[in-house]
Amino acid sequence: MLLGATAAAQTGSPPAPEPRTGISGYMEAHYNKPEFEDGRLDFHRFVLLVTHSFSDRLRFVGELELEHAFVEGLEEAGELELEQAYVDFLLDRSFNVRAGMMLMPVGIINERHEPPVFYGVERPFVDTVIVPTTWFEVGAGVHGEVGRGLRYRAFLTAPLNAAEFSAEEGLRDGRQKGAEANAGRLAATGRVELVSIPGLTLGASLWSGKSGFEFRPRFDVNVHVAEADARYARDRLELRGQFAQVWIDNAATLNQALAFRIGVDPNLPSAMRGFYAEGGYRFISGARIGDVGAFARYENFDTQFRMPDGYLPLRAFDRDALVVGATYWPEPDIAIKADVSWVRNRSSVIEAPNSWNLGIGWWF
Amino acid sequence: MVVLRRARLRFTAVALVTLVASLAAPTAQDADDAVRTVRVSAERFTFTPSEIRVPADVPVRIELKSEDTDHGFRIVGTDVDVVIPKRSRGAAVVTVTLAEGEYTFECSQICGAGHAFMRGVIIASAEDGE
Repeated sequence: MLLGATAAAQTGSPPAPEPRTGISGYMEAHYNKPEFEDGRLDFHRFVLLVTHSFSDRLRFVGELELEHAFVEGLEEAGELELEQAYVDFLLDRSFNVRAGMMLMPVGIINERHEPPVFYGVERPFVDTVIVPTTWFEVGAGVHGEVGRGLRYRAFLTAPLNAAEFSAEEGLRDGRQKGAEANAGRLAATGRVELVSIPGLTLGASLWSGKSGFEFRPRFDVNVHVAEADARYARDRLELRGQFAQVWIDNAATLNQALAFRIGVDPNLPSAMRGFYAEGGYRFISGARIGDVGAFARYENFDTQFRMPDGYLPLRAFDRDALVVGATYWPEPDIAIKADVSWVRNRSSVIEAPNSWNLGIGWWF
Repeated sequence: MVVLRRARLRFTAVALVTLVASLAAPTAQDADDAVRTVRVSAERFTFTPSEIRVPADVPVRIELKSEDTDHGFRIVGTDVDVVIPKRSRGAAVVTVTLAEGEYTFECSQICGAGHAFMRGVIIASAEDGE
């Protein structure tokens, strides 16, 4: 059925582009019920995106996120984060320059995390403790696309801070987040992505930086993150998988330096590893009531995959998870989600808590 | 920069742009066999294909479908700028006749954190018409 048509003709010079400003965003609220604990209601993310086109070649993109709804000084509560604020200098399809606060181009979720586009109430564990999403830093770099769908991005940014790494949550607390970030030695990150086959995205990412800048006398803590991912979405089916590994050089010296500083040896590893595979299918698609899909995801993640000489891993950090759930999209930009997460670890003493979760997220 | 300038210079009098939003199957556009149809899929944050080769000076119908949210399809330096409706809500169809040259297109509706990556190129050349 044709709803309408418009026609326009151009017979001379193209129209001069006018500065344009747009606002958009996404939100998600969750109910999490971990085993052996009371349930928690959390307005997890309230995110506003602002864009402005100064011209066809100069663009600004900003993303401001309020996490956990409430920010209070000096206390553990929510966070107000400037996740993106950059200017793009669009020079050519194959070569463009970007500077400012940028998302690190690592993994599927870090750059593509609007609630309606991923299954599950929470992001994958691998994209939490191995790839520390949302991962953003101040820097500059280049990006572009060559040929039929081969994309790249390469950025120099502030590095991670190894003094904040932990055995349980990996690199996560080491993000400097552009807050007067130490930039004595810049980190390098890059990603290549093939998007030429309809529905299929293949990606590989690297991040490398020197992260021992807080210690005196200074010593090198070279950190490397390597990641590969694939995503296939066609009609009702969506498949995705990701593998990520982290290497921390000089981990024994880092442990000793931190033990001296905080009084407890953090038992940091020399390598962390995680991977997952996920399949989802929309059983109802394009119906008047919307879409309904179900998914299952298997994850394996170990934040003490390799230990430096003289250190033993805690088996509790060698975990795997099976997450099964469903999503109802009453319209394409609203997702109502439910899932159950069974988590298991290799420890015979410490049990990993299972959980069930409900969530609603939307994009506007 | 050079590409954009060249595209503008070569965008001579081109012409017909038709937007049709439809709730029905997008293949409704196949009725006119005389016009070449290019199907483009849009999803966060990719157009597939992102490089489109078309014959110069010949009408080409570009059929645009979204796999998720609203996207836009804007050909930089022209007045072509249409909304691609959300998943399952039909397609946008644009018919363009382009002079020889390269034309950058991009998403013109903010669609997420990676919105700025949604760009592509239409290459109009005499060879592709043969």
